[in-house]
Parts: sequence; structure tokens; C-alpha cells
Amino acid sequence: MGNNLSVLICDDSILIRKKLRSTLEKCKCKEILEAVNGDVAVELVKVQNPDLIFMDIVMPEKDGIEALKEIMEFNPDAKVVMASSVGTNDRLKEALGYGAYDFIQKPLSFEAIANIIEKVIKEDKVDV
Amino acid sequence: MFSKYFGHYLLNRELLTREQLMDALEFQKSVHVKFGVIAVDEEYMTPLQVEEVHEKQKQMDKRFGEIAVDLGYLTNEQVEALISNQKQGHLFLAQALVDREYMTIEQFGAALRDYKIENSLSDEQFDAIRNGSIELLVENILGIEDEEKNSKYGQYLSLFAKNMIRFIDDQVYFEIDTLENPQSENWVVRQVIVGEAPLFTAIGANEEAFLHIASIYAEEELTEVDDLAEDAVSEFLNLHNGIYLVNMSNWGTELTMNPQEVVKNATVSGDVFLVSVNTSKGSFQLILSDKPENILIAQ
Repeated sequence: MGNNLSVLICDDSILIRKKLRSTLEKCKCKEILEAVNGDVAVELVKVQNPDLIFMDIVMPEKDGIEALKEIMEFNPDAKVVMASSVGTNDRLKEALGYGAYDFIQKPLSFEAIANIIEKVIKEDKVDV
Repeated sequence: MFSKYFGHYLLNRELLTREQLMDALEFQKSVHVKFGVIAVDEEYMTPLQVEEVHEKQKQMDKRFGEIAVDLGYLTNEQVEALISNQKQGHLFLAQALVDREYMTIEQFGAALRDYKIENSLSDEQFDAIRNGSIELLVENILGIEDEEKNSKYGQYLSLFAKNMIRFIDDQVYFEIDTLENPQSENWVVRQVIVGEAPLFTAIGANEEAFLHIASIYAEEELTEVDDLAEDAVSEFLNLHNGIYLVNMSNWGTELTMNPQEVVKNATVSGDVFLVSVNTSKGSFQLILSDKPENILIAQ
């Protein structure tokens, strides 16, 4: 699965960032950026405007929902996938209500990530 | 899980030494559960009848089930049921104890019956526990009379047991800790659940147990408590709490949770409920409280 996607991982967990980066590398994403909290993610989005963002919800400083709101204000077409262990209906509705592209439940599986990448590639036709 | 729990019951009843139990738990991984052990476990046959079939087996090329049916000790339906029960965890322990000659089949069967009686378990409850019902086992560990603790912590503990088995160690065994003194641990990872049913949750562990959890969850051997190790244990607690929130939401209680925090050389005090979580590589404490506002963590 070769592609031209630039992807931002926003998660306060080093372990999750490491695992997600490894999965994205296997999917041959072009560029992988990392943010440790919502504040850093918003700043990176404003500068780099990645094609896809994986966003944790429960984080110190700015949480994922707040970051999602700011990112969608900046770029209403941004594709922000909420990745959280808290996949309750309320959280899901809240995230989708603010314009999240998708929601995946932790622990993250390779298949779930690969499916999202495939979906984005198909929609944007950005593959090489 | 019942296998490990029942093993500790045998230990506490002084039917086994700690060394024998550890040896049997290790040895059970390689044993093949024989039909006679299951037949006695299910109370289809007496140990004497099993011995008789074993003797006959030495004389003829027939399977245990066939001979037992020929002798009228089992029906064909019971043989089918025994085949499907062959993979129950505690039977591996039973077979290991018998093979190592630490107990006879009869002693194991008697201990199972005593366990059932001492814990006032109905046939259905006992069958469910033996077949792996973690909810019932946790309820049993908490004490059936203690409805308050069951309602506060039962669901959380059941799920924690499942997640320990799923992500960390399938030989997990819980003991309710009656200590009321503040707990001092090398490492404490805490996370507070907020909402209409608030809950303080923490894992307190010495370095060895902490690294054990971290290494398994991170899927790499970690030899010192660095950022990755701290993060791995935090993520495990976070993942478990997230799934707990999903379950609670499905039951109509909406909760959220704060970010986790790791504290080194911490002492936790307050109105806490302590559970010793024993794994194959050491123990740690699960620290819970439904009054998070009263919990103090000092360094």
C-alpha cells in the first residue's frame, strides 16, 4: 500500500505513538508527524496541514475533543480520526458532531489503521 | 483463572506447599488431561471405578471411555460431555497434581467439593466458575454477603481480571487485601474516573512487577523503568478504564476519565479498597476508591 499521505499522530502515550508510527510505516505513508497533546497538534496542523490525523481523546493540556474543534475551525476538510479506548456512544456522537472523520477503538489494530488509510486514499485519490 | 485461584485455595488449606503449587502450575502447561480426572471431577465416576478402568486399559487396546461404557460406569452422552470438557483450566492443574503425585484424584475431588460447600455455591454457580465465569468468581472472591463492595467494585474487578488475562498474564489471581494502612509502592499509576459513579483507580507496584506489566504490554523486554515503561503501564490502565467506561455507558451510566499520572515512591492513603493481583511473575496492587476526593498520594 504505497501512498503520498502525510499523517499526524496525536497521543500523549509514547507507546501508542511508536506502535502507530510502525503501522503507518508499514502502510508506506510519506510523512509521519507526532504531537504529544492537542496544543501541539493544532500548531502542527496550522503549519503542515497533514492529509490525515489520528487523535487521542484523553490527554493532558488540551484534550482530543478540544483539539478537534480547533482543527475543524481552521480546516473544515481536515480528516481527524479519533482513536480512543473510550468508545462510548456519547463520545462517538460528540466527536462526529464536531466533524471527526472516523472513530477507532483502542487497542489499535493494524487492520483498522490500514482500512482508514485505504478509505482516505480512495476518497482523495492521492496514491502514487 | 479458576485454576490459579483454586491452587491458592489448596495452598491455604495446607493441602499443598508453595513449591508444589508453583511446580504444578508450571507443569500443567505440558500435561494432557486424562479422562479419569475429568470423570471424577464431573462426579460421573468414583476414583475406584477410574482405577478399575485404568487396570483394564493395561489389558486391552481400548480407550478409557469405551471401557467405562462397557462397564456401565459412563453413558455415551457422558463420554461426549467429558470430551468437550477436556480443556477446562482447572483440570490441567488437577492432572499436573496427580502426575506429580502431590495429590490423588480423590483428594482433588474432595477439595473441590469442600470449596463449593465453604463458598455456598450452587451447582450452577460452581459449574459457571469452573467453566470460566469471571464475574461469578470475582463475586465469590469479594464475598457474596458483601453487596456493597460487589456493587461498587464487582464490575470493575471482573473486567480487570479479563483484561489482565487478555493483555498481560493468563495466570492472574486476586486476593482482597485487608490492610488499612497507607500503601507505599515504588511506582503508582493512577487515573480518576469522573461522573455520577466516580472511581479512583491505581496500580501500585514494585519495580519488578512494574517492569513485568510494562514489558508485556509494550511487547518488548524492558529492563529499567524509563518513559516507555511508565507509559506502557499507564496505557494498560487507560485502556482498561476506557473499556470500563464503554461498559458503564452501555448500562446507562456516562462517565469520563482524567489523564493518567505516574508517581514514583508514592504512598496512597484514604478510604481505599485494595486488591493484590498475583501474576506468574510477581504481584502488584490494584487500588480503588469510590471517594476519589479523599485519596491522598504522598511522595
